[in-house]
Amino acid sequence: MTVPTAPPSKLTFTFPWQTLIRRQEFGIALFLFSLVIILSLRTDTFLTSTNLFNVLRASSWIAIAAFGEAITIIAGGIDLSVGSVMALAGLVTGLALRAGWGVPLSIGAGLATGMLAGLINGVLISRGRLPSFIVTLGMLSAARGVAFGLTSGEPVRDLPTDFVRLGQNNLALGRWEVPLPVIVMLTLAAFTWLVLSRTVFGGRIYALGSSETATWRAGINVGGLKVIVYVLSGVLAAAGGVVMTARLGVAAPTAAGGYELDIIAAAMVGGVSLLGGEGTMWGVLLGAVTMQVLRNGLVLLGLPTYWQVVAIGVVIIAAIALDRWRASRA
Amino acid sequence: MWPPGVAENKTTSHTEAKNKRRKRTIVRALGTTCLIGLLGLVACGPATPPARHTQRLTIAWIPKALNNPVFELGRAGAVQRAAELTAAGPVEVQVLVYGSVASDAAEQARVVEDVIARGVDAIAISCNDPTACVDPINKAVEAGVPVMTWDSDSPESWRFTYLGVDNYQGGKTAAQLLVRAMGLTGQVALLTGVPGAYNLEQRVQGFTDGLVAYPGIQIVTTVACNDDINLGVQVVEEVMQSHPELKGWFFVGMWPLFAERGSMPLWEAAAREGRVKTVAFDTLPVELDYLKEGYLSGLIGQKYWGWGYDSVQIVYEHIIQSKTFAPFTDSGMDIVTPANVQVMIDAWKQNDFSRSLPDPFPTP
Repeated sequence: MTVPTAPPSKLTFTFPWQTLIRRQEFGIALFLFSLVIILSLRTDTFLTSTNLFNVLRASSWIAIAAFGEAITIIAGGIDLSVGSVMALAGLVTGLALRAGWGVPLSIGAGLATGMLAGLINGVLISRGRLPSFIVTLGMLSAARGVAFGLTSGEPVRDLPTDFVRLGQNNLALGRWEVPLPVIVMLTLAAFTWLVLSRTVFGGRIYALGSSETATWRAGINVGGLKVIVYVLSGVLAAAGGVVMTARLGVAAPTAAGGYELDIIAAAMVGGVSLLGGEGTMWGVLLGAVTMQVLRNGLVLLGLPTYWQVVAIGVVIIAAIALDRWRASRA
Repeated sequence: MWPPGVAENKTTSHTEAKNKRRKRTIVRALGTTCLIGLLGLVACGPATPPARHTQRLTIAWIPKALNNPVFELGRAGAVQRAAELTAAGPVEVQVLVYGSVASDAAEQARVVEDVIARGVDAIAISCNDPTACVDPINKAVEAGVPVMTWDSDSPESWRFTYLGVDNYQGGKTAAQLLVRAMGLTGQVALLTGVPGAYNLEQRVQGFTDGLVAYPGIQIVTTVACNDDINLGVQVVEEVMQSHPELKGWFFVGMWPLFAERGSMPLWEAAAREGRVKTVAFDTLPVELDYLKEGYLSGLIGQKYWGWGYDSVQIVYEHIIQSKTFAPFTDSGMDIVTPANVQVMIDAWKQNDFSRSLPDPFPTP
């Protein structure tokens, strides 16, 4: 047997800024901050409250779905079905509204759809012992198919204004008119952060992602834990889909096509490691906002369309490389 | 060498295929006649006279995807023309609609192969990919099934004609509509879908060329939305912010207009106050409502209904009347302005597009 090396002592003295740099969100926060500075100097439209809240609102559904995505990645898995679940949940909500179910019940139906999709994912992954990549890839296709099948491809429109208001109206907070989706996003960020960092359940998710065997040996019900992780991901994706539907006022079965990649990218830019066991919700929030600020900035700067996509790809890789570099130094 | 050999093969198999088809049609016609005769013998004094159709023409109508409502309209047109032709006799025209659920070139190729195996007299198809469609179309022609394309072409294949819209001309028309609405000077912006999509690029090119004659009009930016409603809404608002002087928009497709009122507050306010004039492609009911309410100044639309109605007519003329067609058949375009929008709205309501649109710019 090899003798394990002693863990690094917690008692060594560190400067406060060292702990700051060591924090996962630091790299991405720095990056976002520089982006904001550059865009504020280069354009006179970026740093207006309208634009900033537009960007935050556009980040909201991506961020909400990314919270769930991040939980699955931290737990050592992945959920590729988030985009399709967003569309399906929005559509179910739309259909329920049109059927006269009322706003709360219809939103409940949308969230339940996400819960069901997550439950199927979770059970197949834990009980069926199938790789999460395969199961959720199947769900990506199945959920999209159900969305098309429910409406024969037609979008659901003429949604009641009580519902559309939830996505389009603002809440006056002091001097600011904060869009409701942004408030939903911040609330869910705080909630998921609390669950992950301040509960035993959250600790187990990190443990599961770090080492499944060790978690199992510690007597934790790994299978049940996995099911809950995917249910959470499904419900959060559904919440994102419902918010997006309310903002657009239309539920299209084609909505959120390919968003799983934006969502995974937001989580990774925010410091979630694909290897599992690492990442925070505030980082994910910053990741989602950074992606939108970047996209918004490229439009405001008037960069030719064709090159915007390239710039976004380059920046994703650069942000993650910067984060890894920081992690190796700290 | 290989290439000439291949070319030679093509021509022979093509004629062979034609002969085969003719033979088969004759056999089928004979068969049907015999059958009807037999029926007449067996059923003495039938209550209703048997249909006087001596021949049946089965057309497989294949859209790009089943999940797009515009194709549903095309299907309705195809079914209507088939019913009309059947009623006129003597040929019974039957339309079978096949397709993959989503737009997918490989899946569509499989559908075409299935259709050939099933046995039809002709295929009318909207290709997901011009190149990927070549082989399935040629296989069908080899099997004696003539093929035409509509909406989206496969120019390299052996299809006998392509019924489609001239997108370049459509872009030019959009430029004229916008100039009429906004005047001879000012800034305009373009919203496109997936950068590089051929039909969209053609419209953009036509629009740009159409504005060359107006030096006072300047295209300040072109933004893309990847055919995504949500992204379309976002980029339109962003351009409204960064270009407060903007006077005109050309939406190369209708993406942001799918969203409900209230999702683009800046654009909506500018459009209501008449500061910004917008011209868009397509003439779906959502857009017609926007036009009627004064948000849009003009629409240029493909004739979705004609995709079905006209393609069935073309196949009929080609097979039954042996008419030949040029490689490109212009399907024409609908131009909708406040002057004729009501007619278009009614057409959608009654699902009847057989009436032609009134002049978009009537002379008072």
